[in-house]
Amino acid sequence: MSRTVQTPSIASPAQPDYRRRARLARLAHRGVILLGSMLLLVYVLGPVAWLVSSSIQTEKEIVSVPPHWIPDEPTARNFRAIFSAGEEKVTYETRKQVDASSGGYIPPNAKNLLPAMGNSFLVATIVVILNLLFGTPAAYAMSKIRYWGRNGSIYFILLTRVVPDIALVVPFFFVIRKLGLLDSIGSLVITYLAITLPFTVFILLQYFDGLPDELDKAARVDGCSRLQALTKVFLPLALPSLVAVILFAFLTSWNEFLFALMFTQTIKSQTVPIMVAAFTSDFTISFSFINAAGVVAIVPPVIVAIVFERYIVSGLTAGAIKG
Amino acid sequence: MPELDSATAAGISRSARSRFGYEERSALLFLLPAMTVLMAVAVFPILYSLYLSFFDIKLTRPNRAPFVWFDNYVELLEKPLFWTSVGHTVTFTVMSVTAVTCVALLVALLLNEDFRGRRILSAVLLIPWAIPYIADALMWKWIYDSGYGALNGLLYQLGFIEKYKVWLGDQHKTMWLIANAFVWKEVPLAAILLLVTLKSIPEDLYRAAKVDGATMWRRFVHITLPSMRPGFMLVLIYETMIAIRHFDLFFVLTEGGPGNASHTLSWHIYVETFRNLSFGAGAAMSYILALVTFALAYLIIRSLGGSR
Repeated sequence: MSRTVQTPSIASPAQPDYRRRARLARLAHRGVILLGSMLLLVYVLGPVAWLVSSSIQTEKEIVSVPPHWIPDEPTARNFRAIFSAGEEKVTYETRKQVDASSGGYIPPNAKNLLPAMGNSFLVATIVVILNLLFGTPAAYAMSKIRYWGRNGSIYFILLTRVVPDIALVVPFFFVIRKLGLLDSIGSLVITYLAITLPFTVFILLQYFDGLPDELDKAARVDGCSRLQALTKVFLPLALPSLVAVILFAFLTSWNEFLFALMFTQTIKSQTVPIMVAAFTSDFTISFSFINAAGVVAIVPPVIVAIVFERYIVSGLTAGAIKG
Repeated sequence: MPELDSATAAGISRSARSRFGYEERSALLFLLPAMTVLMAVAVFPILYSLYLSFFDIKLTRPNRAPFVWFDNYVELLEKPLFWTSVGHTVTFTVMSVTAVTCVALLVALLLNEDFRGRRILSAVLLIPWAIPYIADALMWKWIYDSGYGALNGLLYQLGFIEKYKVWLGDQHKTMWLIANAFVWKEVPLAAILLLVTLKSIPEDLYRAAKVDGATMWRRFVHITLPSMRPGFMLVLIYETMIAIRHFDLFFVLTEGGPGNASHTLSWHIYVETFRNLSFGAGAAMSYILALVTFALAYLIIRSLGGSR
């Protein structure tokens, strides 16, 4: 459909020469698309493929020069260590067996990765739920109710989105210490809510704006209260944008690093990014193990994103067209 | 929590019934939870950091924090390292936002075409978006690795380099390498936002232009680009915010080094606050960063217009 830019109009009485030029143009067009797609695929997938490939290499292979792009003898050793909770004993001897400069040993805190994933999942889920509970009614009110100070409240939402995360770290640190929430999941829920809620309200607001006001009036005439109009009429219609919001809040919480670095100290509250970063700071650790940890850390968000692919695009569509 | 909110809301509306009608009352009810949260978790910290920035707080002497007026700010502006980090932040932001926008535009134009495999391509494109920044950093650190990295391996096998290089140890290359890791991760979201505006351009415009004999290039310049203005605005604002405050990649890849080559403002705040433990100076810097970011967002909205 959108190829109209290129397709020659069929109606025009075509001279042979004109027709040949049009065919050439079409061929060139397809060539450009093919080339572009290939480039994009390599650019996007290349780094990830290398990460995955090196995560299943043995220590001997991973330090080969030049690198083995495809492992000769793939091994699941690293993943076993993560999932069987540090089965491999680490002693001075096992550590000495391998070349110290290249690492090659699996750290004892490998077993912490799964609990950290549990923490991440819990935090992300709570943040998503709170976002929906607080964000949806606010967005509905801003879009459909004409109240005094409506524009002001919209600007206020935008303003809170503009504050850089790093500027929030110091004050949050004091507040959370005072609340006694350091090293607890609660500290992360509070901070992540602060950084996701403005976005949630903003995207839902754009979506509700796209739905006609008449829907609201009709529902009210039929005897719905404001709350019923929201839950019975608008929520079902807003499903795609709700999915987009859920995804965004989930991914943001799953991926957040800075606040988690500041406010968590033990495995009681540490999340996946912190655990992964902790692995990388040990210089004797096996490279392939770090890469395996990276692979494990990206699997859940990637699955979530791909499953909801169609909803993301339609959800964001609604939000962005009116920009 | 909800009971409390409705109670306060009812209280307020009863006391001012003349002013607040039914509309106002229900709006207040709906807004209160979100507004309370935002006040507590976004407005309060910013005011609090303004307040902190007037004190000389050091965790090394916890019980004494003298009020020092603008000393934190003055000291900050006098330090050359601060200005170095401002320079680096500007370089990084301009570099990466430009690259993200250009690449995303090409990707969006590609995905707007109708061809076989487009769906798969757009699903694959989501992968970088879903990857945590820390995993992104880790992946690129491994690729740039001086001993066994893929970049060295590839260039060596293709015959571009004679021997392996210490990529991240090169003062002139570090920023480019970090920016590349940033762009790789940010292009998908930017491309989706641009694609959405592309799809909203009515076909008739192109048809009319074609009848008038406009070439493909002219149609692109006079129809496509202007219609994408809201998309560009969204992308520019979002990416500028993200780039200017970016921290994770610097933390994992270089820790501000080599030397000061990647010492950016957000890294500077981190070092001042959590390594030198001078919270007042950190707060002052955070406050400056917040103001600058806000000013930038305002400028972008004003110059590209169109939004509320």
